[in-house]
Amino acid sequence: MTSVVWTLMLMVTATALVFHFMPRLSRPDILFGVTVPEAFVTGAGRTLVSRYRTIVWISAAATLAILLLLQGRPDEFGGWGMLMTAVMTGNIVAAHGAWQWARLKARPHAVPPSDVRVASLVTRDTSLPGGALFAAGPFAILLATALLRYTYLDDVPDDPDMANPFGPLAFGAILVAMGLTMAVTLTRRSRQIAVDGPAAAAEHRFRRVNALGLVLGGYAAAILTSAWTVESIPAFGGALSGWGWFVPVPLMLFGFGLNYWMFRVGQGGHRAVAPAARREVHGDGTPDHAWKVGGLYYVNPHDPAMWVENRFGLGYTLNFGNWRAWLLVIAMMLFPMVAGRLLF
Amino acid sequence: MAGALRVSLNLESPIPAYRQIADDLRRHLVDERLKPGDLLPPIRQLALDLGVHFNTVALAYRLLADEGWLELKRRRGATVIARNAPRAVDQRQVDQLLRQVSQIAAQLRSAGMSSRQISAALRRLAQGESL
Repeated sequence: MTSVVWTLMLMVTATALVFHFMPRLSRPDILFGVTVPEAFVTGAGRTLVSRYRTIVWISAAATLAILLLLQGRPDEFGGWGMLMTAVMTGNIVAAHGAWQWARLKARPHAVPPSDVRVASLVTRDTSLPGGALFAAGPFAILLATALLRYTYLDDVPDDPDMANPFGPLAFGAILVAMGLTMAVTLTRRSRQIAVDGPAAAAEHRFRRVNALGLVLGGYAAAILTSAWTVESIPAFGGALSGWGWFVPVPLMLFGFGLNYWMFRVGQGGHRAVAPAARREVHGDGTPDHAWKVGGLYYVNPHDPAMWVENRFGLGYTLNFGNWRAWLLVIAMMLFPMVAGRLLF
Repeated sequence: MAGALRVSLNLESPIPAYRQIADDLRRHLVDERLKPGDLLPPIRQLALDLGVHFNTVALAYRLLADEGWLELKRRRGATVIARNAPRAVDQRQVDQLLRQVSQIAAQLRSAGMSSRQISAALRRLAQGESL
């Protein structure tokens, strides 16, 4: 077997594994994106989850079997690129199909949203983790690198592939700005579901760790693009020749650690507190009907929240019914174009 | 500010949302659970948590500011202020509230409560006790 086949097999298995754990990532009374009684999740819902998992693993096994059958003749299917795309798309579509099927089965057990909403009158900390100065750090790194690059402007030979010597830094600045915008809006424009007590504290911590991840992502972007720029300066290029593998390592470790921590504490940090402490918490404060495409997208123009807790996986997703969220979406859609213009 | 201070909103209630929020806040103010100098959550935070438009919470804060309970300042939010001297009585508002009380008293009597029970309940409420 070639390394491509091994990689594909690993990807198919990893996808199945992600889908396997997906139902357990939600809040305790949300199953397949449907708000249900917690008793259903721990009772009849278990059978539904095991059936769903069976479908996921059967489809993964079928994908692997097809892959092994076709491995000797990728050219008949347009090459490895086409084959990889087809295999991965088929695998994800099948797993999603299982999710949709389970969601349909869970729907009859849905509980209507409460007519009573409660909020705390205690002011929350909505500042960025680490403060504004810490958040501005990536910009300071980029600025310092830009000054350094400017100092050595005449020493660097022209790169015909590069549109602008400061392009990578501008690209980094956009990445940092987007990450910070997401962090700021996440802390300021997302709903607190647990009203007070340990459950609210755990949820607040979960949100802030997510925001911290975005701020640190900005640091990673600034360091990577700065290293890229500094490498082009002959006086420093030799000293930094090893950055290519060194810089992403802590980033990957941090990403892995963050995801593992989120997996441990569960969505909104609900597993970090005793069940008695979250007795009053029901659902995630969003109505089921506003979740579209099998609970993947939240569209609720009547909800002032810009970010809501994901029902498919951990973390947060945008409220696509909110015009502010669309500004962020448009910025993300324009990003590849802007990046292309800046870099090449 | 004491802990576990909450405000609730019933979506099925015929009472407008801003009034429900203002009524809850007023109850905390009258009970002195919210004291002068206490800072209320920003309009945006309360609106997000209750899932209502920002203007709904702004209207509730404005209502209480007009009654002399809150001071609203840009960027500083809403602060509870001392309300030692009651404001001049608005006779029209008092008449309207008394009319509502009489309607509620009639409903309670038709529901089977005696006059004595109703007056005892009203006395408890007037003294700041819960029913």
